[in-house]
Amino acid sequence: MSLKGKAMGLRVWALAILVVVGAGFLVAAEEGPIKLGAVLPLADITGAQGSKAMQLAVDEINAAGGVLGRQLELIIVDDESKAEKGAAAIDKLATVDNVDVFIGGMSSGVHLGELPALKKYERVTVWIGAASSLVEQAVVGLDWYFHIHPWDYLQGASYVEGWAALQAEYPLIKIHKAFWAYEEGAFGTSSYQGSLVAFSNWENVGESFKSALLGGGDYRAVLRHAQEFDPDLFIWVGYAADALPIMEQAAEIGFTPPLFVGSPPGWPADFGTSPLADGVIAYGMWAPSIKDVSPVSQHFWDAYIAKYNEQPATYFAPLGYTNIYVVAEAIARAGTLDKEALITALEATNYASPLGETLTFTPSNLIQHQGFRNQKILQWQNGAQQVLWPFEYATALPAYPFTGP
Amino acid sequence: MTLFRTLRRWQLLLLLASLGVPIVLMLWKPYVLIEGLQRGGLYAVIALPMALILGVVGIINLAHGEFMMLGAYFAYWMGVYAGLDPLVAMIPAVVAFALLGAITYVLTIRRALKAPELNQLLLTFGMAMVGTEFANLMWTSQPLKPHLSYVYSSVALGKLRFGTYAFIYTAAAIVLLVLLQLFLRKTRLGRAALAVGQNPRGARLVGIDVNRTYLLIFSVSIALVGALGAMFLTRHSVFPSAGSPFTMKSFCLIAMAGIGNLPGVVWGGFGLGIAEALVSSFRGYGGWADVVFFAVLVAVIMGKSYRRQTA
Repeated sequence: MSLKGKAMGLRVWALAILVVVGAGFLVAAEEGPIKLGAVLPLADITGAQGSKAMQLAVDEINAAGGVLGRQLELIIVDDESKAEKGAAAIDKLATVDNVDVFIGGMSSGVHLGELPALKKYERVTVWIGAASSLVEQAVVGLDWYFHIHPWDYLQGASYVEGWAALQAEYPLIKIHKAFWAYEEGAFGTSSYQGSLVAFSNWENVGESFKSALLGGGDYRAVLRHAQEFDPDLFIWVGYAADALPIMEQAAEIGFTPPLFVGSPPGWPADFGTSPLADGVIAYGMWAPSIKDVSPVSQHFWDAYIAKYNEQPATYFAPLGYTNIYVVAEAIARAGTLDKEALITALEATNYASPLGETLTFTPSNLIQHQGFRNQKILQWQNGAQQVLWPFEYATALPAYPFTGP
Repeated sequence: MTLFRTLRRWQLLLLLASLGVPIVLMLWKPYVLIEGLQRGGLYAVIALPMALILGVVGIINLAHGEFMMLGAYFAYWMGVYAGLDPLVAMIPAVVAFALLGAITYVLTIRRALKAPELNQLLLTFGMAMVGTEFANLMWTSQPLKPHLSYVYSSVALGKLRFGTYAFIYTAAAIVLLVLLQLFLRKTRLGRAALAVGQNPRGARLVGIDVNRTYLLIFSVSIALVGALGAMFLTRHSVFPSAGSPFTMKSFCLIAMAGIGNLPGVVWGGFGLGIAEALVSSFRGYGGWADVVFFAVLVAVIMGKSYRRQTA
C-alpha cells in the first residue's frame, strides 16, 4: 500500500472512531437527566421551604419513573435575595449546568435583575414569585415566560372581591372606614397606593411606620392614630419581624378594631402559638387547613412532613411543588424538550395544585401566560390559619369582631 | 440664686428646657413623654456598653449591635431548650458573653490596638459581618420572638392607657449608669480603667496593667450588651440584621454626649427618644423621626464645636 493509501486508511479509521465516540456521547446525553434550574433565596423561609418542596416533587416524579424515561435533576442556586446574585445564578445555570428550564423565584426586585440574563438565553421559564406589575411590564411579548403567582393588581382585585363577598355573606361585617399602616419602604408604600385605588369606596387613611427590619419596631404612634380614627378595618403592611410586636403594642394601648388584618409576605413560623394571633386576618395563597378540603394539598402536606419532619409554613412550599409538577407534566405532554413544543404543552396546563385551585395559564393585562389570579382571605383561629374566602375553599366561619387578648 | 449665677446662659437654657419640656408634654400629650422615655431608655441602655469600650479601650466597636443580636438569639434558644424566660436568660448571657468578649479581645482587638484607627474600624466592621452571616447560616433570616404576656401589661389613667413594661429599658439605663459610675469612681479596677482611658502610657508608668484593663472592660461591655440582647428580645423580634441599626444609634448618642460621658449618653438617649415620640405623635410625620434624631445630633455637635471655639 502506498503512503497515500495508508494516510487515507488512517483518516477513515480516525473518522470512524470519532463517529463511534461522538455517538456514544450523544446517547449518553440523550439518556442524561432533564435539568431544572431553580433560583431561590435559601436563607429566607420562602426559599428554604420552596426548594425543599421542589425536591420533594422531583423525588416523587423520579420514583415514579421520571419523565420521558429520564430522571429529573433539580439544580438550586441561592440568590441571597440580591438582584446581582440572581443574575449570576441564571448565567451559571445556563452556561455551566446547561439547564433545560428555569424555575423558582421569590422577590420582584431580584427578578428584575435576573430578567436581562433570562432574555439573553430565552429558555422556557416558569416563575412562581415576583408579584410586582413592574415585572409584568418587563416580560411583555416573551412567549417562553410563564408566571404562576398573581400580579399585585390581581391580588388587590381579589381582596376587593373577597371583602365584598364576606360583607354580603355575613351582614354583621361592615367596612366603611379603613386605616392602613404600611412600612415606609417600596413594598409598603406601593401596596398602600394600590389599595387606595382598589378600595376607593372606603374611607381610607394611611400612615407609614418604620419596620423592625429597617431598625424600627415602635408602632405605638401609628396604632394610636388608628385608634383615634376608629376604623372598621385596620391593616398593617410590613414584614414578619413586625407581626408579633405590632400585636403586643396594640394590646398594650387597648386597640381592638373589628377587623385586624396583617399583610406580610410571610408570617413568623410560630405566630399562631401566640394568643394574640387569634382572630387576626391574613392574606395568602394557601393555608395548611386547605388540606381538609383538597386531597392534593393533603398529599403534599403528609409527604412534606414525612420527608422533612417539619410543617410547611409558607405558601411558597406548595408553590414550589406546583412549579415542578407543572413543568414535568408539560414535558411529558410535549414528548420532547423542544422549546416550541414545550411552550404549547405548558399552555395546555391543567394542574390540580396543593394550593387548592387548578392551575391554568391565561392572559393577564400584559402577558399571555399568567397562572393563578386570586388570593385568599384567611384568619388565625386557635393557632392555625383558616380560609374564610373564597367560599369554595372555606375551612371556617369568620370570628368577628376581633377582640384582642 | 447662687446656682443660677454659676450657670452659663446656655446651661440655664438647657436646664429650663429639661424641666419645661416634660411639664408641657405631661399636660399636652402625656403618652409622648411616657413612650419617649421608654424608647430613649432602650437607646441609652444599649449605647452605654459601647460608650464604655470607646471611653477606655478607645475603639469604636462596629460589631456592637451584632453582639446584642447574638445575645437575643442566645436568650431565644435558652427559652426553647431550657425553658428560661429572656429576663432570666440574662444571667447565663452575662457569663457566656463575657467569655465571648474575652476571646474576641485576645484573638482580634488586642492585635489591632496599635494599628491605625481605620484598620480598627475595618476589624470591627468585619466582625459585624461575620456575626450577621453566622446568624443567617445558623438560624436563617426568619424573625424569632417568644410570646410573653407581661410585655403588653398596661395601666389606664382616665382616657390614657399606656404600657408599663417598656419602662424596664428606662430603669435599666438609669441603673446601669449608676452601677458603671460607681464601678469607675469607687473601685480600684474602675479607677484604673479611667486612668487607662485618659492616658494609657501614664497608667502603664504607674504600674497599671493596661492590657488586662482593656481585656476586663471589653469583656464587661460585651457581657452587658449580650445580656441586653435578652432584654431587647422581650419586645422585639430577632433576626440577623436586627442589631446593626443600634450600632449606628449608639455611636450617634456617644458622639453627641462626648467620649467618656456616660451620663450624657443616658440623658441624650432620653432626649432623642422624647423628640422621636413627639414627632411621631403627629399623624403622617413618623418618617421624620430619623431626621429629628440626626438633626439633634448635628446641632449638638456643632454647638459643642462652637463653644470650644469661643471658649
